[in-house]
Amino acid sequence: MRLLLAEDDALLTRAIRQTLTAHGHTLDTLADGEQALHALTTQRFDLVLLDLGLPGCGGLELLSALRDRGDTTPVLILTAHDGLDDRIRGLDLGADDYLAKPFEISELEARVRALLRRSQQRSANQLTFGDITIDLNLFEVRMNGTLQTLPRRELSLLESLMSRAGQLVPRDLLEARLFGFEAVGSNALDLYISRLRKRLDGHGLRIRTIRGLGYVLEEIPAS
Amino acid sequence: MIRRGHSLKRRLMLWMAGLTLIFGTALLLEATLSANREADRVYDGVLDDAILTIAEALQWQDGRPLIAMPAAALQILATPHEERVFYALLGARGEIITANASLPITARLQKKVAQQPVYRDIDWQGTSLRLAGREFTSAGWETREPVQIWVAHTRGARNALAHDLVARAAMRFILMVGLAIMLVWLAVRASLRPLTRLRHRLRQRHSEDFSPISARVPVELSELVNTLDQLLARQRESHDRLMRFIADASHQLKTPLAGLQNISELALRSRDHEQWHEALKDIHAGASRSTRLAHQLLQMARLDHDETSLATRLDLTALARERLTDWAQRPASAMHDLGLEVPDHPVWVQATDWQLGELINNLLDNALRYTPPGSVITLGVEETDSGHELFVEDNGPGVPPALRDSLAQPFVRGDRHDTSGSGLGLAVATSIARSHQAQLSITTPDSGGLRVALLFSHERHQRNP
Repeated sequence: MRLLLAEDDALLTRAIRQTLTAHGHTLDTLADGEQALHALTTQRFDLVLLDLGLPGCGGLELLSALRDRGDTTPVLILTAHDGLDDRIRGLDLGADDYLAKPFEISELEARVRALLRRSQQRSANQLTFGDITIDLNLFEVRMNGTLQTLPRRELSLLESLMSRAGQLVPRDLLEARLFGFEAVGSNALDLYISRLRKRLDGHGLRIRTIRGLGYVLEEIPAS
Repeated sequence: MIRRGHSLKRRLMLWMAGLTLIFGTALLLEATLSANREADRVYDGVLDDAILTIAEALQWQDGRPLIAMPAAALQILATPHEERVFYALLGARGEIITANASLPITARLQKKVAQQPVYRDIDWQGTSLRLAGREFTSAGWETREPVQIWVAHTRGARNALAHDLVARAAMRFILMVGLAIMLVWLAVRASLRPLTRLRHRLRQRHSEDFSPISARVPVELSELVNTLDQLLARQRESHDRLMRFIADASHQLKTPLAGLQNISELALRSRDHEQWHEALKDIHAGASRSTRLAHQLLQMARLDHDETSLATRLDLTALARERLTDWAQRPASAMHDLGLEVPDHPVWVQATDWQLGELINNLLDNALRYTPPGSVITLGVEETDSGHELFVEDNGPGVPPALRDSLAQPFVRGDRHDTSGSGLGLAVATSIARSHQAQLSITTPDSGGLRVALLFSHERHQRNP
């Protein structure tokens, strides 16, 4: 993937470059807002990491200029201002996510992964997470390359979780997807979750329960 | 901000001007009326004299009145103002005995003058005249018919006199007003001088000088000065607190920075990969700690100086759901069992959303940081008899009761110096609780571990349930 980093701090730029190139991405870095905007008009990127305090033209202006001309390249804002107002303003202007400095590398990796996945899904019409792929046209699931046959509700559950992989999917949303207006017991969903957990076993993925809230499909953390 | 009102001097002067206008008009009106009255009194006497002089010159022949108009009578009336003088003598049936003009003497006037002398202002041939008349009856043995003597003259002298009187009254009045304005002006200036002195004194003050204002002021101003003194005392307190906090904070920030510096310096001297790796681990931990510390110091500073945020009516359950959703997606929480326990209906409190959000962040951050992986952490909202409670509960190692009270102090970390906390999280939470008039309590739940709860009690929030 080709990424653009617009950031003027040299040390942070080096750390981010090291992280993202290790994941096999190509990273272009620019320390000036005007230049970054110019680069975005002439070239295509899969993701922009944008510092709000850029010299040249500010990050928010760059973002609004980008969105004004209909460019939908995903944008992850990096900023040392973590005030709520800034966050809301950034997201209102069309940023896809927001990361307050200083952040942990693992946090950055997770956000970048999620944003790239989302932008890919938009174009390929298929969901991929870990070694699982769902073709959204054929409703086929492949795990580690082999075709799997899943009952309708399990497939629907997997699709719902994978379309928001790494994010929390609320319980009531899953229930509505799976059962619609059917009256079901409170543990009906738990049954399907536990069946899906068994299928995911050995694929490096897990479904984490957030009690009273919902589920997160994620990669099993190292350690 | 101070809204600029009217000037005190201008206000006083406006009031003075208004009062002067009203009283002045009334006084001048009265002066005019009384001057006219006075002029009439004086010159009606002159008319009387003329009538009496004429009456004395009256002769009778065969019971009929005969008159040779005396020059004196006309002399009396012809004042230095060159008045025109008119007279008429009328017989019993209203017939003219002699006259120098056909004065408009009506039958009613003739009837009236039979009883008493008459004085009238009349308009005659475009001139305004003063007319006086008297009737004389015989006093002798011979029966004679009564005679009416009417005299009139123009008003020149009267008007001149009245005018003169009014002018003198007006002059006195204007003099008095001028004097009053001058005195009031002086009085206002003198009374405002303490204010000016106070202003100078305040302006010369050093920005760090919080000592009481020692200025002699009138009683009316002493309350203002007292209030200012109280404000200064509060400022001094807050300033002292801030200075203490900065001293603590800089000490706290310097410590991890010193560690970072020393460890990196030692690592640079070494050639051993194993030692490098150890040093880098320490450096990372130190940097994380400084980061967190800087963040929380800023939070505290922001809390202390947050005068713009307003408490709004917000739903605790929605806020808890939103915060836990955020935390569930962070890698930091991947190894813990997170949970939400809220009623399935909104629980409303009056609160500042970003502050409560930060409070929840701090409590969850603490819980994740000070409990081993796999621990159960629950964020919840509970409706109790005493109020609405927001809580974070964990089943970790907990904190000994003896240390709990000191947890809320800045830079105290209970018994947990080994981990990467800054010791500010609960101090921030306490500060937020105070600004919401809610009680923060730290207890041990039945299952062990730690429970930190924020209670919005019904009594304190009765007006905003």
